Amino acid sequence: MATENRNPIAGDAYLAAEGLAFAYTPGEPVLRNLTVAVARGRLACVLGPNGCGKTTLLRMLVGLLVPSRGRVRLAGTPLEAYPPGSIARRVAYVPQETLAAVGFTALETVLMGRSPHTGALGFESSGDWHAAREALRRTDTERFAQRSLEDLSGGERQRVIIARALAQEPDVILLDEPTSFLDIRHQHGIYGLLRRLVTEEGKTVVAVSHDLSLAAAYADRLVLIDEGRVVAAGTPDEVIRPEVLSPVYETAVEVRTDEVTGRPYVLPRPPA
Amino acid sequence: MNTRPLTPRRYLRALAAWVLLLLAVSAAAVVLGAENIWAWDAWDKTRDVLTLRLYSVLTAAVVGAALALAGLAFQALLRNPLAEPYVLGVSGGAGLGVILSSLYLTAVAAPVFGFVGALVTVGVVYAVAQRRGRLEPYTLLLTGVIINAFYGAAIMLVTALASPERRGEIAYWMMGTISTFDPKWSLVAVVGGLALAAAVLFAFLAKGFNLVAVGEDTAGALGVPVNRLRLVTFVTASLVTGASVALAGPIGFVGLICPHLLRMALGPDHRRLVPAVACFGASLLVAADLATRLLEGIGGVAPPVGVLTAMAGGPFFIYLLRTRWRRKTEIR
Repeated sequence: MATENRNPIAGDAYLAAEGLAFAYTPGEPVLRNLTVAVARGRLACVLGPNGCGKTTLLRMLVGLLVPSRGRVRLAGTPLEAYPPGSIARRVAYVPQETLAAVGFTALETVLMGRSPHTGALGFESSGDWHAAREALRRTDTERFAQRSLEDLSGGERQRVIIARALAQEPDVILLDEPTSFLDIRHQHGIYGLLRRLVTEEGKTVVAVSHDLSLAAAYADRLVLIDEGRVVAAGTPDEVIRPEVLSPVYETAVEVRTDEVTGRPYVLPRPPA
Repeated sequence: MNTRPLTPRRYLRALAAWVLLLLAVSAAAVVLGAENIWAWDAWDKTRDVLTLRLYSVLTAAVVGAALALAGLAFQALLRNPLAEPYVLGVSGGAGLGVILSSLYLTAVAAPVFGFVGALVTVGVVYAVAQRRGRLEPYTLLLTGVIINAFYGAAIMLVTALASPERRGEIAYWMMGTISTFDPKWSLVAVVGGLALAAAVLFAFLAKGFNLVAVGEDTAGALGVPVNRLRLVTFVTASLVTGASVALAGPIGFVGLICPHLLRMALGPDHRRLVPAVACFGASLLVAADLATRLLEGIGGVAPPVGVLTAMAGGPFFIYLLRTRWRRKTEIR
């Protein structure tokens, strides 16, 4: 069994999707034989048009959805082989923002990230509080600790939610469009934070994004998905190319290089 | 609201305080009543009245705890602050089950049919009205109105078909009554056991309630088995609602008032709310039942306690609808 559990495709893959297939309604597959792998300590961005299966993939990577075919491996072991609840100690998931106005403070929200580590009645140790405070500090949200989540701005709130993910002390953080609804300053604030988590703390981060240029500016790897399959995967320079992007988005694009960062960026060229 | 970690010591201290409150209110409700019974020359009569008062106190306590816990659980799992057994029509479903059982089968089976009626209603409400596990406030109100109208009509039909003396019984029972001259001690024990079991179970599920209240994907990704949590919670809440309706009739708004008053005082953390809601719901209904008996002392007739809670709960519901709830959802 031990050999079977070893990952056959990617040697350095830490989180791997192998041949995933899934349909919410029969006959309308969302994912078709999707295979992708992310190495440890990398920032990967998943790109693709609306409805291509990005969110479905992310939910599958954290075990919220079970694929009808294929499997997800975390550190070489299939997700289904992990004891219930133990995935949450290794993978954190930040869903696309929907605010439930329940009245929890930022600190209470971040403490929820400790939930996979606390007992059945949810008593917290001083260690749990230390981890929560530390997560607030790393996301620069300490000053909001006692403020209600719904009283924060979108950017502040997103940082608190990322702090909750950090309080989980996971190896992997998955984020679904973490910068939608945010202005450019906060977009770069969030991606700069994700970048730091990868380079300074060795986290593995997978973020779904609609912003091609933003993803290209921060990610180590880009994965382009269309109609439930991986169309292209590689470094930003390999994926951000007109001949790759144009057919997928059905839009003419021009790719230029940012002279400051050396990263590619995208200019859409709609038909005249 | 959480400024210090929730430790076992703080948890037990808070629990002890709530239990003390319940004991104090209960003691007052046994000592006080419509008539002055503290005369040494008629001890037999005193003993009988005290026994009936003790029965009322126990009934009010177990029913109050059961309904308040059910309300808290529905609000958490449906992610809707207005969810409550009575408003949702769950009490109505339980009421229909109880009436059908006592008219056509046996009164002993009434709690079972109350439970079935409650569970069927929860299933219908959830199947009809939820979207992605959440019940939108207006959808809930509309669904509740329609379901309550349906059960109201069904209960009227059953009542019309019943014998004249049963009609009076049903009508009075539907008002929600606790003080009685016909004690059902074993049923009180059953409801009490269920309410206590629900309180302990919900205490262990409270961490999950917090996470589901924030979002289902968030809860699932943090290791909460959301579907199992929902099933267990709905069945338990239906069970205690059905049993308490069989004991005291449909008493409204306890499940709305208690959780909300405590949220205002303690914040939204269900780990703190579950023990508080159980004890406070019990205390509140004991106090309400005492109020009906004191009113009897003044006016000669005890109003049903369900009338009292509905008269207090209706305006409170409108207050929630107009202020707290609106303020919060508008930000969304």
